Amino acid sequence: MDITLLMELIAVSIFGAVLYTIIGIAPGTDETAVLMPVTLILVLSGMQPISVLAFFISSIVAKKLTDSIPVAIAGIPGGVMSAPMVEHAMVLKSHGMPDVSIRKMASGSVIGTIIAVPLSLILANLLIPFGDTIAGYSNQIFFGGAVFLALMTKNRWLALISIVPFALLIQGLRHLYWGVGAVPEDTTVFTSFFLGITVGPIILKLLELLNKEIRSNLPRKESNNIILKKQKKMKGFPNPFKILDKKETISSAFASVLGVFTFFMSPAGMTIFLGEVLSSRIKDPIKRATRAISSMDGVTNAGYISGILIPIIAIGVPLSPTALGPGMALFNAPPVFTEDHNLHHILSMSDFVIATVIGAVIAISLTYFVTVKYSQEICTFVFKYIPHEALLGVFLALVIMLAYMDAGLINIGGVLLIGLVAGILHRWGINYGVQFMVLYAAPWIVGNLVL
Amino acid sequence: MDKSAEMEKEDRQQANNIEVWEDVVNIKDLILSIFLCTATAMGGYLIAPDNPQKSLIYGLIGVVVGFVICSIIIKPKRTLRFEDEEK
Repeated sequence: MDITLLMELIAVSIFGAVLYTIIGIAPGTDETAVLMPVTLILVLSGMQPISVLAFFISSIVAKKLTDSIPVAIAGIPGGVMSAPMVEHAMVLKSHGMPDVSIRKMASGSVIGTIIAVPLSLILANLLIPFGDTIAGYSNQIFFGGAVFLALMTKNRWLALISIVPFALLIQGLRHLYWGVGAVPEDTTVFTSFFLGITVGPIILKLLELLNKEIRSNLPRKESNNIILKKQKKMKGFPNPFKILDKKETISSAFASVLGVFTFFMSPAGMTIFLGEVLSSRIKDPIKRATRAISSMDGVTNAGYISGILIPIIAIGVPLSPTALGPGMALFNAPPVFTEDHNLHHILSMSDFVIATVIGAVIAISLTYFVTVKYSQEICTFVFKYIPHEALLGVFLALVIMLAYMDAGLINIGGVLLIGLVAGILHRWGINYGVQFMVLYAAPWIVGNLVL
Repeated sequence: MDKSAEMEKEDRQQANNIEVWEDVVNIKDLILSIFLCTATAMGGYLIAPDNPQKSLIYGLIGVVVGFVICSIIIKPKRTLRFEDEEK
């Protein structure tokens, strides 16, 4: 490893940590929607694979650290994953302890990361011998996964019925593009369809604004009232093991270990489940809340790190919700990465270790320090100066640009169509997991329909 | 309802804001922002020298430019109130 590469890894990690410290605080930012496009652009712009991994790990750790800040201070989830913590954080807030809340959550995150990085690397190594076998059945696994996830949703029959039509929509567009010559016949449009699904709910909502009837019935609001609690400054460099008491440290660590082993499960589901299990027996409401939030933050971090590292090191196919969502670009970003040529095939074990460790260490030391010390200032800045409109505008602009890049002008309409359908499905309770699995399995599903 | 009353109603509603993605936005500002960011992104993408990697980087710079302009011209629809910790 030469010094220039090392410097590059450190530089991209710092970039990721800073960028996602800010984005993490912005309310409601969905992990997949904000992480995937940026990672994708870095991959496509020719960044070295090892740097991409360092950037991604750093970004995800930073995002998971900071998205708990608005939860603690204002009761607004900074991301989908921090939504389960709102209830417990509100308990602490009502006792006037938002600062405690932030420190406990951030410390839980740090413990989750410290445990998840080595454990995921070990587990991935143990799974390597089975990787090729698993990857060989990936189509069947994705289809099975779509069916399984569909059965787990609230409207299971609706979800089940939607699988084949959605696959037909995806394959239909691909064949149309080949037919009219928008893309060569050996190019499979994937990325922009993926993004279309991701921004589906927003596209649906925006198009509805053009419908006069719906528009006039929408609930109106003057502004989003956010109440910030003033908090005390903390002196010296924060130490997570001092901020958490012994029991909290143990339960965060325990929850993180379970989070690593259940890498193929939905991290949001595991977070809610483990958080409740580990804290429900405690009587004192404040103690229960701190135990719950520190453990939950541990699980989300551990689940995210293992969800990305294990599939990419051992299998090479995105077989976890994290890999299918935010981490997609590391597996499939044609023409740079494809299913037979991605980080799994390019990087050696030592590359994986170096990139992960550098990314994680930089994000923790930078973001943890900043989070614990300056959470109030950052929160005020983001709430005051970053308009929500600008964030939405940026993500839609990225989607349009990448759609154009994938297959030209026609694909902007195509992505809009996919977004519209995906948005409706999402509203009906058919979650991203089902839709992403279908996107993956679509060629196989359609191929098996023609006898 | 006559026409002017209807327009007045429309005006009043335009002044209000709606909730998208867990936060409050103004419809007009949102359209402006989407239009502006898309224009700067596609502008950057299309003026770039003919090379797929450069196009992307120019497009990305365009997005950042759009974001900065939007952040300056659009005011966030949040009201912040500070409360002392000790009550």
